[in-house]
Amino acid sequence: MSDGPILLVEDNPDDVMFTVRAFAKNHIKNEVIVASDGEEALRLLLPEDDSPPLKPALILLDVNLPKVNGLEVLRTIRGDERTMGLPVVVLTTSNEERDIVASYRLGANSYVRKPVVFDEFLAAAKVLGVYWLLVNEPLPPGLGR
Amino acid sequence: MDTKVNVNPTGVRPPAQVGHEQLMALIDHTSAVIYMRDADGRYMLVNREYERLFSLHRENIVGLTDHDLFPRDTADAFRANDLEAFARGVPVQMEEEVFGDGEVRTYITVKFPLIDASGHPYAVCGISTDITARKRAEEQVRQLNANLELRVRERTAELEASTRELDAFAYSVSHDLRAPLRSLEGFSQVLQEDYAEVLDEQGQQYLRRIQANVARMAQMIDDLLGLSRATRTELHREHTDLSALAREVVAELRNADPARSVDVAVADGLVAQADPHLIRLVLQNLLGNAWKFTANRADATITMDSTSWQDVEVFAVTDNGAGFDMRYSHKLFDPFQRLHTAAEYEGTGIGLAIVQRIITRHGGQIVADSSPGNGATFRFSLTPAPGDWEIR
Repeated sequence: MSDGPILLVEDNPDDVMFTVRAFAKNHIKNEVIVASDGEEALRLLLPEDDSPPLKPALILLDVNLPKVNGLEVLRTIRGDERTMGLPVVVLTTSNEERDIVASYRLGANSYVRKPVVFDEFLAAAKVLGVYWLLVNEPLPPGLGR
Repeated sequence: MDTKVNVNPTGVRPPAQVGHEQLMALIDHTSAVIYMRDADGRYMLVNREYERLFSLHRENIVGLTDHDLFPRDTADAFRANDLEAFARGVPVQMEEEVFGDGEVRTYITVKFPLIDASGHPYAVCGISTDITARKRAEEQVRQLNANLELRVRERTAELEASTRELDAFAYSVSHDLRAPLRSLEGFSQVLQEDYAEVLDEQGQQYLRRIQANVARMAQMIDDLLGLSRATRTELHREHTDLSALAREVVAELRNADPARSVDVAVADGLVAQADPHLIRLVLQNLLGNAWKFTANRADATITMDSTSWQDVEVFAVTDNGAGFDMRYSHKLFDPFQRLHTAAEYEGTGIGLAIVQRIITRHGGQIVADSSPGNGATFRFSLTPAPGDWEIR
């Protein structure tokens, strides 16, 4: 079981609330840390000062984000050996082919379209939590080099 | 020359000796400009067309050169062409331009040297035919072509721009319109869950109706995106097995609705040069409709086959379901038009609009035939047909 935090990169406060609620309803106890744009997410994961980098168990990444968008965040994460092994689930409203293709090309582990109906979102959050926090074996620290 | 005169058994007179007068008459009555100049470029002879064109009399020209008669550039060009004929010793052909009849005219000119007994060229003859009209027509055609190319480029750029615009629009629809719907849906759910005790049954029901409408709007947005995608994705024709695609679609329908018992017959060997991804969408909608509108029949049957109508293959999807009134058939392929109430058969009314768009993009046609209670048949072609061809 990965008990590290979940990094939710999401600019819509409603979506933040629903995601937090969905995890809570599914008894996923991992702390949820929110970055409301891509720049903030990168600052947390790859700090340029001496602050310790965030080591999340799972990153939930929106595509349409202010400043640095989700795909650029993904590119940076995959290009840096400190973060290349982190599980990234792209969680977005879009089901545009180009976003799906770009996400996988940049190394997303999964692509999930946010369902409109909350019950479906609840179900998706449960599956994501179970798979990425319980079933999946993460890359051990230091082995990605 | 042979001086003996033979008796001509056919009675046809032998050709007579042609004199100078007769030759002059010949060259004076042609529309070509004819002239003869000596090795120094001095005029020896001109014909009547030459006199007319330049408003000169032959007795005033003889002995003069082109440099006495024409602007320097023109004269230089004529002289150079004369010298070329001299040098080559054979007829040469070139285009020449000269001002005459009030405008610059173009001539196709043949020049050939006259050779004396010792084999030296001593004069050059020129025969110039006016091709001004032809040149002008050619120039017009060239300009028309250039304009046409320009217009095609402009229209292509316009089309690309509007496709890009549509693309951007569809993209923002898929992102921006869905997000507020999610909030509406989510908060309705939160209210139901967290505030159940302060909401009476009526209030709860209103919330459920909000949610049902949100779900419907989400479906419509998705359908609208589907329609836009059917329009903007590039069409790639390849050998497409419609029989196999139809069977896949039917298998999906059976999987999604295992309680239904529907007798489906898809003919073998239905093939076309078409875009398989788009055709799959067509079949999903047509077979999906057939599946949906036979829901109230115990003996539901769906068939797919093809016939040839005036050398064009016509595919047909037929069901024995609810059918519709042909009085409204003109609305059938319009987006969001429905011939049944949502309570009877669910749907947003976008499917046939997508189908028609895809068929039209293939250069084909689609028609529907039905009556209430007697099922429906949709016939479509997938290839461009002659102008007056109409699907039957």
